[in-house]
Amino acid sequence: MPPRTPLSWGTIPSLFLLPPSPRSMPCQSQRRTIRSILKPPPKPSRFDQSAKKVPAALSVSSSLNRKSYTLRQRTGVLATKKGMTALYDIESGKRTPCTVLQLDRCQVVSVKTREKHGYYAVQVGTGYRSPHNINRPLLGHYLVNEVAPKKKLVEFRVKGKEGLPPVGEELKASWFKVGQFVDAKSQNRGMGFAGGMKKWGWSGQPASHGNSLTHRAMGSAGGSQGSGSRVHPGKKMAGRMGGIQHTVQNLKVLQVDEENGIVVVKGCVSGPKKCLVEIQDAIKKPWQTVDLTLPMSMASIREEAII
Amino acid sequence: MTTSRGSMRSLTSWKTVFRQYRIHKDQRRWQTTLDVSAVSKSAPLLDITPPPAPSVKTHRHIKAFPPRPSTWKRCKDPIAAVMASQMTLLDPTGARKRLFHRSNPESAKVGDILLVRQKNGEPFSGVCMNIRRRGVDTGILLRNQLTRVGVEMWYKIFSPNVSGIEVVQRKAKRARRAKLYYMRKPKHDMGSVENIVRVYSRQRAMLGTAGAKKDAQSYIRQKKKVQKKGKGKKN
Repeated sequence: MPPRTPLSWGTIPSLFLLPPSPRSMPCQSQRRTIRSILKPPPKPSRFDQSAKKVPAALSVSSSLNRKSYTLRQRTGVLATKKGMTALYDIESGKRTPCTVLQLDRCQVVSVKTREKHGYYAVQVGTGYRSPHNINRPLLGHYLVNEVAPKKKLVEFRVKGKEGLPPVGEELKASWFKVGQFVDAKSQNRGMGFAGGMKKWGWSGQPASHGNSLTHRAMGSAGGSQGSGSRVHPGKKMAGRMGGIQHTVQNLKVLQVDEENGIVVVKGCVSGPKKCLVEIQDAIKKPWQTVDLTLPMSMASIREEAII
Repeated sequence: MTTSRGSMRSLTSWKTVFRQYRIHKDQRRWQTTLDVSAVSKSAPLLDITPPPAPSVKTHRHIKAFPPRPSTWKRCKDPIAAVMASQMTLLDPTGARKRLFHRSNPESAKVGDILLVRQKNGEPFSGVCMNIRRRGVDTGILLRNQLTRVGVEMWYKIFSPNVSGIEVVQRKAKRARRAKLYYMRKPKHDMGSVENIVRVYSRQRAMLGTAGAKKDAQSYIRQKKKVQKKGKGKKN
C-alpha cells in the first residue's frame, strides 16, 4: 500500500459538499474494500488443470512455432548408400566425386497430426520384411495403413499438414530434383574402442627425450586442487569411436533416376556401403532453390513462396 | 517375526482385513474335501464339478499386404548403371575402355611407355607404373624425368581433358608386379623416356595420317619450345 498523502483540510471542502461516492476521493485513489462484503475469488481445485493458466510462451503452439525453423516443409526419404564414383562435366572436364544412393520401396506408412499426436510428422518405411519376422502389433499397424511390412521405419517431422502426403504413397527418387541441395543423415562407421589420439586428434607424447612406454597416452586428465582434484564431466578420453549418427549438409543432387531409384549426390555421405541414409531437403538452403514436387495440397504454399 | 494370521489382523485398516479374508476364503474353498459317499447322489450338497479348462488362446491371423516391386532387384548395381551412363558420354566408341581392359591382349599394361594427349596443355609421356581400375574413374600413373627430376602424373583415362592415349613402347617382358613402385628407386629408374617418344612420334609422322602427322609435329614443336624455355631458365 502506498503511503497516504497528507490531507490539507483547508483546501478540501467539507465532506457533505463532495460527490456521494467516497471512492472517487483523490486521497483514496486505491480501492478499499471490506473483506466481509467483497468475497475473494473462489480458489480453484488443485486437481483442476483447466483453471491453471499456462504462460503463453510455454503453450504447445508457441513452442511449435519456435521450433518450426528446424522443420522441413516436405518429408524426407530413406535410401541406401551404394558406394562412390565420379561424374565428369563434358565441357569443362571437371571431375566431381559423388555418392550413389538407392531407394527401395520407400513408402509413407502413416502420418502424425497436431490434433491427434501433438505434431505433424510422416512415418516413412523402406524395403520389405517378411511378416513372419514382425510382431503382431506392428503387423496390425501395417495392415491398418494398407502397406506391406517394411524393413525400416523412420519418422520425419514436417512443418504443417500441407506437408503430409497421403498414406501409402510411394516416395520415388524423383522426390528430389537435380540441382537441389539435400542433407544426408546416417550412422558413420564404427571404429571400436579407440585411443585418445585417434578419437580426439591429440598429438600424443614425443618418441624420445627420455619418454618410455607413454607415446600415445592421454596424459593428464585435469588439474589438482585448483580445479577440484577431480575429473570434470565431459573430459575427452579414449573409448568407443564412431557408430553414431552424422549429418552431411548441403549435398547437391547431381543425378536422379526414378526408374532405378537412384539419387546421386555430390561428395561423400557418412557410413559404410549398404547403410541406411535419411535424405531430406537441405535445412540451410532457401526452400525454393529448384521447383520441387509437393503433395497436392502444398501447391498454394509453393506459389506464395515463389511470389 | 512371524505371528499367527489372527493376531496380524488389525481392525484399523479394513482394506487389508478384507484382502486377507478374500485370500483365505479362496483357499478355504479349494481346500474343501467332501466325503462323496456321505452325500446322496440325488441331492448333492455342493456342486464340485471342476472348473472348465482354460480355453486355448488362438491368435487371429493378421493379413499382410504383398510387397511392391523392388528397385533393388530391378537395378542390382546402381553404381554400374551410373558409370554406364557416364561411359556413353565420355567414351562413346569404347576405344579407351578397350585400351585398358584386361580381356584385351593388346591392352596397355604396367611397364609400357604411354603418351597422354590433353585438350589443354602439352602431352605427357612416361612409364605406366600403376593402373587403378575403377570403371569410369580409372586412372593411370605415369613416371618420367623432366630436367633430370623425376615426375609422376596421375591421369583419369576417361576424363574429357584427355584427348588421346597412345602406347609408345611395350615392355619387353610382362611386369611381374601390378604396381611398379620399385621404379622410383635409382637402381630401377628408367630415367627420361623423351628419346623413345621422339623416335616414336617421328615414325608416326612419317607413316601415319595427316592428323597424326600434325599431332606428332605439334608435339615435337612443343617439346622444342619447352627445351628452349628450360635452357633460357638455366642461362
